[in-house]
Amino acid sequence: MMYFMFLFGFCFVFWMVGVSCNPSPYYGVLSLVLGAAFGCGVLVGMGGSFVSLVLFLIYLGGMLVVFAYSSALAAEPYPVGWGSLGGVVYVVGYALLIIGLVVMGSCLWCVGGFGEVTADAVGLFVVRLDFGGVSWFYYYGSVMFLVAGWGLLLTLFVVLELVRGLSRGALSSI
Amino acid sequence: MTPMHFTYYSAFIVSITGLSLHQTHLISTLLCLESMMLSLYMALSMWPIQLQTSSFMLTPMLMLSFSACEAGMGLSLLVASSRTHGSDRLQNLNLLQC
Repeated sequence: MMYFMFLFGFCFVFWMVGVSCNPSPYYGVLSLVLGAAFGCGVLVGMGGSFVSLVLFLIYLGGMLVVFAYSSALAAEPYPVGWGSLGGVVYVVGYALLIIGLVVMGSCLWCVGGFGEVTADAVGLFVVRLDFGGVSWFYYYGSVMFLVAGWGLLLTLFVVLELVRGLSRGALSSI
Repeated sequence: MTPMHFTYYSAFIVSITGLSLHQTHLISTLLCLESMMLSLYMALSMWPIQLQTSSFMLTPMLMLSFSACEAGMGLSLLVASSRTHGSDRLQNLNLLQC
């Protein structure tokens, strides 16, 4: 099981390297989608099924879909692919960065060993850790819940003002 | 540091390196910012799972909602810069260049 988790973790880091050294924004969005999917796998393996589902729905299904169609703003007639010469240099550079971090980690911070604590509470609980944890929002976290909702509503209006255009909005030179 | 901690740590380092260096388009920079937020979400989710403290599960939820706000801001600035400068290439944002 831990080898499975390690594989998910490795694929997560692999696709995050793919986001950073993307030759074109289309490949960057694809790498981020796949990296988030493997990140969900890591969280599921640790027992956090609720946080993984939230990541999948809200992050992948909400935010990354918006990024995917906003990458049409960066449309080029001939997008550069992964096999171009300049891009390979960056991929090699980031792979060396990861290898350097692994070497430093095993020497300095003793990265290694397998075994994780998972989210099943000890005893007769039927609710797992993350389901029960997020429900704190409705009691102790009620004020922060309302503040976050208010912030999201304000964000909507700020975005509408920014993209209004033709000297009616915040950026008057458009 | 366990290997799972190392995954989000190295993902954050790689994303912040990609944010600060060599990107051609503004949207690639915003994508690196999003991958930083993803690694922070994983960090904040793993912490209460490993310490078995369920009330700290609020932090990744709050972080995700505020990162959604920030992504919306970034994309609206991308649209605005694409209108003024014609494209979102970072070479065009050169007002402070000497």
